[in-house]
Amino acid sequence: MADSLSPECTPLKKEYDSCFNAWFEGYLEPAVSISQLPAQQQRQTREEYSRKKAEEFQRKCGKLWEAYRGCVQKALKGKGLDKMLEQSREENAFNSMPPVIQDKAK
Amino acid sequence: MHFVNQTFNYDHPWSHVVIGMWHKYPNPKCSHVISVDVVDRSVDPKTGLIRTERILGCKQKAPIWIVKLFGGSEDAFVREISFIDPKTQNATIISENLSLSQFATGLEQIQYSPVSSHQTMFRQTAEIQARMALWRSAADGLERWLAQRFEQNAQLGKTAFTDVLRQLWEERHMQGATAA
Repeated sequence: MADSLSPECTPLKKEYDSCFNAWFEGYLEPAVSISQLPAQQQRQTREEYSRKKAEEFQRKCGKLWEAYRGCVQKALKGKGLDKMLEQSREENAFNSMPPVIQDKAK
Repeated sequence: MHFVNQTFNYDHPWSHVVIGMWHKYPNPKCSHVISVDVVDRSVDPKTGLIRTERILGCKQKAPIWIVKLFGGSEDAFVREISFIDPKTQNATIISENLSLSQFATGLEQIQYSPVSSHQTMFRQTAEIQARMALWRSAADGLERWLAQRFEQNAQLGKTAFTDVLRQLWEERHMQGATAA
């Protein structure tokens, strides 16, 4: 696992990353297989599964995230990266998934 | 303006590639990436889409004239936003430079989508553009240098990730075999 930009955040970061990876690997395959269900069942099943797993992620990794985030925010500030990030977010929030590359090429 | 485009197939199922994304660094073939930090992450409780925003720290060896002219330091930072949509099996990763961004912007988009149950297509586009009316030859030079860096790193990234996926899934396959 890669280090944090600040050595003092690296242990917190690795704990959080491990937590996310473990959660994500359990989450992904069932989430993908919902698309194979009959069409009329998909929406409800996906909503139920997504809500359950989002809550589980918060429950399992929420505390680790808060600890790591506190550390990394301070580190970003120390390097002046907080302002650069803010500026970049103002220019381009990238809040939703961009169009697929194929469509762009047309 | 410089454009880069490439596609490539990984011999791994989509889910393995997407799990592997979080294991890409540190990587001896991408030793320019020295840190990775998550700065934001959300799991959509309705759609299951995962959005992650990270900052990658890179050691760049910029030509001396670029450092002098633009005041770039050895450390460069990249903002990366990824979207993983299990519903459509699409993973899209957008990256842009935070460093030197007042002079030039590099915007990269990567996408992983399934080709079959055991193959995943990688598509990559990038645009590199000097932002303002710099002294022309300097702007051209900066663009060219950024495009070269990008192309080198893109190649390295591809082979580096191939190694990671192979190792990760071979290891797990072995573990599975011993456990059974």
